[in-house]
Amino acid sequence: MHEARSVASPEMQRIDVSGLCKTFQLAGTAIEAVRDVSFSVRRGEFVALLGPSGSGKSTVLNMIATLVKPTSGRILIDGTPVVPGHATPNVGYVFQRDTLFPWRTVAENIGYGLQLMGVPAAERKERISACLKQAGLQDFGNAYPSALSGGMRQRAALMRTLVVEPQVLLMDEPFGALDTHTKIEMHDVLLRIWEREQQTVLFVTHDLGEALTLADRIILFSARPGQIKESFAVDFARPRNAVKIRETPRYAELFQFIWHSLGEEFMKSRSR
Amino acid sequence: MRRARRPGRTLAWQALICVSLLSIWQWGYDLHGRLPWLVPDLLDPYFVSKPSEIFEHFLILSCLKSKLGVFNGWFNGEFGRCMARSENNLWIATAVTLKNTFFGFLTGVSSGFAAGLVLGRSDRLSAIFQPFITAVNSIPRIALAPIIVLAFGIGDTSKVVTSWIVVVFLVFFNTFEGARSIDEGFVNAARLLGASEWQITRTVVIPSTMAWVFASLTPAISFALIGVIVGEFIGAERGIGRLIIESEARAEASGMMVAVIVLMLVGVALSAVIWRLQAYLLRWQQHNFVE
Ligand SMILES: Nc1ncnc2c1ncn2[C@@H]1O[C@H](COP(=O)(O)OP(=O)(O)OP(=O)(O)O)[C@@H](O)[C@H]1O
Ligand SMILES: [Mg+2]
Repeated sequence: MHEARSVASPEMQRIDVSGLCKTFQLAGTAIEAVRDVSFSVRRGEFVALLGPSGSGKSTVLNMIATLVKPTSGRILIDGTPVVPGHATPNVGYVFQRDTLFPWRTVAENIGYGLQLMGVPAAERKERISACLKQAGLQDFGNAYPSALSGGMRQRAALMRTLVVEPQVLLMDEPFGALDTHTKIEMHDVLLRIWEREQQTVLFVTHDLGEALTLADRIILFSARPGQIKESFAVDFARPRNAVKIRETPRYAELFQFIWHSLGEEFMKSRSR
Repeated sequence: MRRARRPGRTLAWQALICVSLLSIWQWGYDLHGRLPWLVPDLLDPYFVSKPSEIFEHFLILSCLKSKLGVFNGWFNGEFGRCMARSENNLWIATAVTLKNTFFGFLTGVSSGFAAGLVLGRSDRLSAIFQPFITAVNSIPRIALAPIIVLAFGIGDTSKVVTSWIVVVFLVFFNTFEGARSIDEGFVNAARLLGASEWQITRTVVIPSTMAWVFASLTPAISFALIGVIVGEFIGAERGIGRLIIESEARAEASGMMVAVIVLMLVGVALSAVIWRLQAYLLRWQQHNFVE
């Protein structure tokens, strides 16, 4: 198994999900959240999971992240099955809502993962300040999260995940709570990081514009129970500019194309 | 617009109130003799003593003055002899009560905190122990004091145990509630960054429970003091509670008042320590802006 991981060829699937199902038991009733989902993500690929609210996107991501135990199905990361309840090494997760530790300063939050790994203080300090700089938070290292704006907090949360240099990034609507402008700003931040580090990213969102800006491929989920409805390749050239890309005709064309399909699912999820 | 607060003014008012109350206490009853319609009969010095008598009694109990009213010399050894002779003088009594309060508080807080964390993080354990805890918690703890003195004797141990038993539940319930109400998002975030169970406890569970624990510490320190005093009422050789009982036997209101005032000062000092500690450990709760 160890062998398989170290000699993994670049063509190998980084994330491989097949036949994934999840049914929640809620006060005696069974809620089928995810039905037979299969897909895979190549090394270094940026994939967006798009779908209406309640379509099971977070549930799929949480199963991959080991936070939720699948009812059935198989999840492989680098060819190795994940174990529910045990974090997979080299996999980073950015939450849908703010989970910065309020009792730690921004710098201490960012350094948390390094501290767990036992990285010496001097090196930790260096890597923290590099991250603070990258996130434009140089002056806020010693502030507590409560003193930060929503956008700054999300950047700090992103850095807390990135500081340990994960090769796989799972992101659950990390910018969902931000206003449009801050969001686009964050897209640029993320794109620059991704272009440099080439992580494998699985990005959950219900914002089509966001998915188009960031992803190589969009996987569209249907309304509950979550199933894969369609998959779209997004063929914009890289590197991308989060603002400029929205002005291109190709963007409008793709938007139109996917919007129709997404719209049907929104209608379905509203009608229940 | 509201006027800016002036600390000088507040202080002046406080001093004025203090002086007026002390004056009424000191001279009010004399006035009652002459003007019964103006001052009520409440301040009979036989029951409540008066400031001058209390101060006088303070000097005697603390071996600064002899019972005959002469100041004990430091260099002629009178002070030392008085200290040696009266085994429950104010200094020793205060030291003993403080010491027992401290140990009762310390053991109560640490065991209550540990139990609260363990049960708060384990659904199974809390389900098993829940009825027992409810049952024991329904006992007024002070009612156990005589049993404890009977079991542990009139020495210091029984005071520490009484103090422990009133503190432990208070801290336990607060810690328990705190550990129950932890935001699982923080726990998940830590776990996905590679934290082990023990690291999660240390870096997430304990810090996020701290605010709850501190909410219980100020009452806990008062409770610890109450526990010790009640223990001393029931049976003790030394301590401030014992001092009160001795004065009561001699119908000396001033002696009891000295003890009560010392207790008040001790309580204030201990609370102040807790406040300082809390301000430091929970500094993240204060809004903190970067200048
Ligand atoms: N812990 C849980 N217990 C019971 N039901 C759950 C639980 N978590 C999710 N569900 C249900 O599963 C379905 C899918 O939820 P999920 O959070 O995955 O949706 P989502 O696509 O991420 O939606 P959103 O865009 O609003 O975040 C929902 O109907 C939800 O009620
Ligand atoms: Mg979600």
